[in-house]
Order: sequence, then C-alpha cells, then structure tokens
Amino acid sequence: MKPWNLIARKEAGELLLSVRGILWLLTAAVGMSVFALLLVSNTELSLLDNAQVVYDMLGIVTAMGSLLALIVGVDTLGGERERKTIVPLLLAPVSRQSILNGKLSSIATAWAAMFLIALPYVWAVASTGQNLFSGIAVLALLGTPVVLSFGYFGMWLGTRTRQSVTAYMIGLVTLVVCASPLLLGPALRQSAIGRAFDLVNPFSGAVNAYDAVVIDSMSIISQWVGFLTVGVWLIVMIFGARRSFAGLTS
Amino acid sequence: MNFKLMFVTLLATVSLGFPVLAQSDGATGESLKGQSGQITITLHPDPANTSHPRMGDRLKFVSTITNTGTDPIKGVVAWVSLIQVDANKEQPVDLEDWSAHKAEVAASLAPGQSMVSTWPMRLIKDGNYRVVVSAASGGAAGLTASPMLALAIAPKPVVESVRVIPIAAGVPFILLGLLLFRRRRSALA
Repeated sequence: MKPWNLIARKEAGELLLSVRGILWLLTAAVGMSVFALLLVSNTELSLLDNAQVVYDMLGIVTAMGSLLALIVGVDTLGGERERKTIVPLLLAPVSRQSILNGKLSSIATAWAAMFLIALPYVWAVASTGQNLFSGIAVLALLGTPVVLSFGYFGMWLGTRTRQSVTAYMIGLVTLVVCASPLLLGPALRQSAIGRAFDLVNPFSGAVNAYDAVVIDSMSIISQWVGFLTVGVWLIVMIFGARRSFAGLTS
Repeated sequence: MNFKLMFVTLLATVSLGFPVLAQSDGATGESLKGQSGQITITLHPDPANTSHPRMGDRLKFVSTITNTGTDPIKGVVAWVSLIQVDANKEQPVDLEDWSAHKAEVAASLAPGQSMVSTWPMRLIKDGNYRVVVSAASGGAAGLTASPMLALAIAPKPVVESVRVIPIAAGVPFILLGLLLFRRRRSALA
C-alpha cells in the first residue's frame, strides 16, 4: 500500500470512528434535522415552494459541508502542530507529497460522509420529487468542489497560522461572507458589486446553479459559469495548501 | 347577460358529474361584437382531467374560439386567466409557475372558422379558483371572455411529516448511538 493511502486511511478512520469526528457529523445532522422540522411546521408552503425547499436544503448541506471541511482542514496540520505530533510526522520516512495527499484525502472523506448523511434529508423534504435527482447531481458536481475548496483553504490556514484558533476565526469569517448568498436572494445581488461578488464567489456559483437546476429546471450543463468559478477556486486552494505545506517547518 | 347571473346559471346547470370541477358543457361566453366581427368562446376541461384535482396534478382546459361574424378577424389573441375566489383571498393568479402556455395568437380567423386551444396547467396551490379564457383582436372594441370554470384544488402537504420526522429523528439518533458506542469503547480501552 502506498504511504499516502495509509495516511488517508488513518485520517479517514480518525474522522469516521473517533468520538470527535462522529460528534462533528452529529452536530451537522442535528442542524439539518432542525431545518427539516421547521419546514414541516410551515403550513403556508405552496407546491412551488417544494423546489425552493430542496434548493434551501442543498444550500444548507453545502454550508454545513464547507464548515465541516474547514474544521477538518485546519485540524489536519494545525491540530498536529498543537498536539505536538507535527515533528514526528514530518520526520517520518514518507515524502511530504504523500503526507499532503493523505491529508487532502481526509477532507474528501469528511465530505463524502457528510454527503451520505445529507441524502436522506434531501429526499425527505422533496415530497413532490420535482428535480430531486438533478438536485442531488448538482450538489455532487458543484457542492463537492466548493466544500473541498474550503477544506483546502482550512489546511492552508492551518499551516500558515501559529494558533489554530486564528485559523478557525479567519476561516469562519470567510465562510460566512462567502455563504451570504444563502441569506441574500438574487434580487439583492443585482448591483455591480453584487454581480462582481457572485462572479468570484464559489458559493454563489454553486447556489445559483442549484437555483437554476432545481427551481427553474434548467440543465446542469448550462451552469458552466458556476463550474468555472468553483473550479478556479478549487485549483487555487489546492495550490495554496500544497505551497504552504511545502514550506512548513516544525 | 349579467355576468353574475351567467356564472350562477352555469354552475347550477352544467355539472356533468364532475364533483370538484364544475364545467360549462360547452356553454358559450358572452360575446362582444367588435369592429371586424364577432367572437364566441367555449371552454371545457379535458376529459382526461382527474375528477379530484390536488396540488401537483396537471390539468388541461380546451377552448374553442369561433368567428361567428361575417367578416374575417385579424390578429386574434387568446389567453388564459385564473382567479382565486377564496374568502378574503380574492385575487388574480400570476400563472408564471402554473403554465408555460398562457397565450395563443391566430393571424386571421375567417367567418365560421374556429381556433381550438389547449391550456395545460400544473396546480401549484390549493384553493378555489375560476378559469377563464379571453380573446381580443386589434380591431375589437372590447375583449370576449369564455364562461368561467370552477376549479377546486385540494391541498397536498408540500413537506410531508411522515417522510421528514423519521429522518430528522433517526439520523441523529443513529449517530448518537455510534458516538456513545465509541465513547464507551474508548473508556474501556
């Protein structure tokens, strides 16, 4: 087995089987449960709003996934530093590339677990079934790079800051700003600044694609602008994480 | 004919065993004589429509617009409208989400010629409604409307509690069980 594969399996195991990792997933699940129960208690929803509900749930899942990935990302190296395990890790007879690939895989594993947990929730709120499968597909295709971007961003921050709390603070503020399209509808983002923000914000790229595919029944392929935005973000974040990890000293 | 009287007469006389959706049985709407001729409109539900429409169902309505005058009518525009008539909720409905086919145009309608149009509709919200098809031409002094069809849409839960509650309670419960199991194993170790 290749070293990076070993590291990836260890990281995945720590996430999915450790008390800490399960607690993170449980918190995300409780958040989605509260949101779903709030929807059930709303008696004023029209059929049209079912698509809106699915759209909202996809946005919530993406936000929760990004938060989880950010925490995992910061913890992968920042946590190692705080637990004083970074030196043995760097001195291990394994290339840095392998360590990095293993750590990157752990973020993908966290998102995969989150995605699987979210599927029943998306199904549960989509009672009419309108665009349910295309919604899940667009979540997989566009939500995944957004979530991974935040995970790699967290990893970048974790290696660049001396204290994890600083990395968490910067990461959370960035996430809140980027996730603002979940609260501000498209009508409120029609100014020049709003459009420019949408163009560079990966969250906007994903959320706008959810809107187009789930509510307006457009094809996923037509959302190429969203793919472009999140794709560029993902590449930049992978590059940043790699670069900061390459220059990492104990 | 008095509009209200026409509607009451229509509902009282032409039900065709359609308990929810009263229909006109091909009754002719009040027609107006325009400058270029006379238009009459009939409107009836498609026979394939469900007898108990609920939110989410798809219905069709069929209108026939006939030039009963002696002169051809140019540029006939027909469109479908929906009016909510529930108490204290009376309002015209924006058909944006209900139908993609909201209007039809005929370049010319010769004397005696008819234009048959089908109006598909997806039922978005529950309530009591009236469906009406109107037509006008550039040369007409006013528009012509079909009789109104009564449409009662039964509610359907948009977010079904039987689907949501088991998931909302079950997923955290499973994860909590897993968490307690891991904690116990960690404590034992």
